[in-house]
Amino acid sequence: MALTPKDMSRTLDDLRNGWIETSIYSDPAVFDAEKRKLFTRTWQFMAHESEVPNKGDYVVRKVLHDSFIISRGDDGKVRVLLNLCRHRGGQVCRNESGNTKRFLCPYHAWAYKTDGSLAGVPYHEEAYGGEAELDEKEFGLIEPPHTDTFNGLIFINLDPDAQPLRTHLGDYAKYLEFYFPAEPYGVEMHGPQRWRFKANWKVGAENFSGDTYHTPHTHASTGVIKLVSSAATSNRKAGIMYVAGGGAGATFRLMQGSFEEKLRSVGYPEDQIVRIAERLSPEMRNMIEKDGVLPSATTLFPNMSLLHLSARVDDNGSVFPFTTARVWQPVSETETECYSWFVVDKDATPEFREKSYKAYIMCFGTSGMFEQDDMDAWVTLTRMTQGYMSSSVHLHSRMGLRHDNTPLNEPLTNFSGPGIAHIGFNEYNQRRWLNMWADHLSMEDPAPPLRACARALSQAAE
Amino acid sequence: MVTAALATATMLPFNHPLHLAAHEFIVREAYVLDRRDFDLWLTLLAPDLVYRVPVTSTFGASPHKAGEMDHLSEDFYSIKLRIARLKSNLAWTESPPSRTRHLVTNVCCYPGEKENETRVFSSFLVFRTQGDYMGPDLIAGSREDILRRENDETRLARRVVSLDESVLKTQNLAIFL
Repeated sequence: MALTPKDMSRTLDDLRNGWIETSIYSDPAVFDAEKRKLFTRTWQFMAHESEVPNKGDYVVRKVLHDSFIISRGDDGKVRVLLNLCRHRGGQVCRNESGNTKRFLCPYHAWAYKTDGSLAGVPYHEEAYGGEAELDEKEFGLIEPPHTDTFNGLIFINLDPDAQPLRTHLGDYAKYLEFYFPAEPYGVEMHGPQRWRFKANWKVGAENFSGDTYHTPHTHASTGVIKLVSSAATSNRKAGIMYVAGGGAGATFRLMQGSFEEKLRSVGYPEDQIVRIAERLSPEMRNMIEKDGVLPSATTLFPNMSLLHLSARVDDNGSVFPFTTARVWQPVSETETECYSWFVVDKDATPEFREKSYKAYIMCFGTSGMFEQDDMDAWVTLTRMTQGYMSSSVHLHSRMGLRHDNTPLNEPLTNFSGPGIAHIGFNEYNQRRWLNMWADHLSMEDPAPPLRACARALSQAAE
Repeated sequence: MVTAALATATMLPFNHPLHLAAHEFIVREAYVLDRRDFDLWLTLLAPDLVYRVPVTSTFGASPHKAGEMDHLSEDFYSIKLRIARLKSNLAWTESPPSRTRHLVTNVCCYPGEKENETRVFSSFLVFRTQGDYMGPDLIAGSREDILRRENDETRLARRVVSLDESVLKTQNLAIFL
């Protein structure tokens, strides 16, 4: 059911009070507002620098219908380039990844270098009057208004007035560093697996931000078959959940013991324990050592999520940890494409890589025994919200709040990590994510991404 | 790849006993999978099984491939675990169970590297639906299998599935290909 603008503001007010009108998961008008106000304004993850290690390497990624080439130029610099020929809008790169000297438009053969600059226009002299009338320097592939990186993670923002990436991350940067350490440490990202499922994109983002409440039931099978220790699914309420800067996440409770023993218990080998000890910030180290919890699932607003977990990879009971990164890329209001990567320490031993990869494939991604059941839940709820009657239902999103809006449990006062933390089941993180979402939908549309470029064109015309 | 194999190896004629045996195995296996008789399917798998479904990606004309990846990268242990999960009554995504139709065709066989092995190439189209709501989802691709004969039993020792789609259009791979 399409919502009118008036309905939208009421929907957002209800949402801020912990009541989710189900239509936000399937209404085309809501998706239209997201396309205009949210994806145009938020930092979007494109790729990790390890995916394009050599000059000429590229991968192609999307933000909704915009296609971007993430290309390492001959100067060694990685750029994000709009995959659109400046002449008639042709698709200059049709592969998903590769290595090239140039991107050639198949329509009229305008050719671009890997740094995006226009390398050649057929009949430049005869047809255009040469350099004087068509300056090739002005017609390279277009870069988004903002491109920024954090420890190898490449993000773009299409809003010319966007706040800097680091401002958006805030204290969440400390958590992101746990998964993506600064140099000389670092990771490699492998993949992605890509698949489409008929669920609204927000459900995954919300879930990874801190839904530990679903784990004991949704993922009960993984404990029964001993893919993970049954405590890993049943003991989730002992974990601490945090909100920091632009992100929020959950942790799982570790066994008693020293820092090293704790990491050993989730399957880290000695060489990695040494590197983790060296690289961790004091806050994150204390969080593991003193508070006894390890980061697990998390979402960086709006649609990038990470997960860290351990699983049994063979009949001998060997346990190995793994990390996955993913983007919930909307296809429509009722369909999402997940890009899911395997993330591994770039200095990891071949044995660790193999076993950690095995753990990832068994647990997450297209065939993952955790992810399979998440998909089912998210697809089902999206389908159920599409009716006339069902779209007007307000879902209960107030876990951890009393009727008078006072919290059932106060934030922890002795938490070592950055941000605000709670222990036990609650929906504090999800409400925060939904409030940030509502804040974006309440804004005016942002300035167009090519404001500067458009001005230049009008000046030229005068 | 199938085409390379067709060009370089000697294909067994369709009336060759090894071709007939392999074809029979592949057809029987398809029925077993569609009946969801996973315990029986497990008896058709070798203990040193390699079962992979690599991610299909469109690479440019170059050796560089951004991080290689699989949808499934299984051994006997992990297949056994997946089957245990499906039988646990807690695998919500398969409740109700998917109804699948494995249509396996274009079977071509070659002698294996070992005397008791046959290389079997085939194409498949899997139709998947569930309850009165899912799909129908279609998954198309080819298989490159190695069948091994031991003690009068034939087992699948290796399967590598090449999918035709870069982006899977089914919500998960809770089914076997």
